[in-house]
Amino acid sequence: MFKELDPILHSQLRLAVMSLLISVKEAEFTFLKEKTNATAGNLSVQIQKLKEAGYIEIIKQFKDNYPQTICKITSFGVNAFEEYVKNLQSYLTNHK
Amino acid sequence: MEQEKKLTEQESLHLITMMINKAKESYHDTGIGAIMWGAVIAICSLVRLSEVQFDYKLPFDIYLLTLVAIIPQIFISIKEKKERKVKSYDDAYMDYLWLGFGISIFLLIHISNNIFGEWGSWANEYRNITGKPVIFRFSEYVAPLFLMLYGMPTFVTGAACKFKPMLWGGIFCWICCIIAIYTSIKIDLLLTAASAILAWLVPGIIMEKEYRSYKKEQAQLNV
Repeated sequence: MFKELDPILHSQLRLAVMSLLISVKEAEFTFLKEKTNATAGNLSVQIQKLKEAGYIEIIKQFKDNYPQTICKITSFGVNAFEEYVKNLQSYLTNHK
Repeated sequence: MEQEKKLTEQESLHLITMMINKAKESYHDTGIGAIMWGAVIAICSLVRLSEVQFDYKLPFDIYLLTLVAIIPQIFISIKEKKERKVKSYDDAYMDYLWLGFGISIFLLIHISNNIFGEWGSWANEYRNITGKPVIFRFSEYVAPLFLMLYGMPTFVTGAACKFKPMLWGGIFCWICCIIAIYTSIKIDLLLTAASAILAWLVPGIIMEKEYRSYKKEQAQLNV
């Protein structure tokens, strides 16, 4: 039977962020903004949602006296992403 | 990108693939370290070759240049790390690989200097007792050991980063290593210089060019 797709991940910007973070160890907020072409406000809200779901970790620190936000996918987030892709693939296979 | 746009399944899959590719494309080494080390090793080998060929000696060991090059390398590494907006899983492995290579090189220098010292006194004694010249020259077997080591991290980096110039550079070092076993010290030094140029200097220049064009692309996208 086809499982419901995770609503946290089944949204354009959140899925884009998770797809970027799954490929790297960690990434700066500016990197995510640059690659997704999202506005800083939108991105902040969406990464906060991902953080609340436990999918990503947000580290706030200072670099050369400027605030720096680093995002990192958690092992829970990796599992959720893998599950999402598995469900997506099974959906696409069943609906061919 | 809209934050809450619902996606179809095909769109989701397409987005995942696109973002993973975008993340992969963002790893760009500046190539400056490779250019510097390629140039330093090539210069050291060619200067030593000229010392042997024209029978003169510099007031200092030219290979001390490799120790001096560590200082700019530290600054290059710190600067590159600071500028990097993203850390890949490979970064740490690569750092350890090249650090391990550096340590191995200095250990090999120490080992060969020790063997050379002992061998020299033994050869002198042999010459004094027997009056015959010593045919075996230890110095002719040092270059193949270094070339073998040069090839290893270069080949691994080239394979891991899917960067063919470095992969072939590593293989070239090993080919030179085999040749250097059977050649004179002059040819050994030429082979070492050629290896440094093909394994590090040329790939470094290619990397630097790619990095520049990536930066240019990014600047144009941000306009």
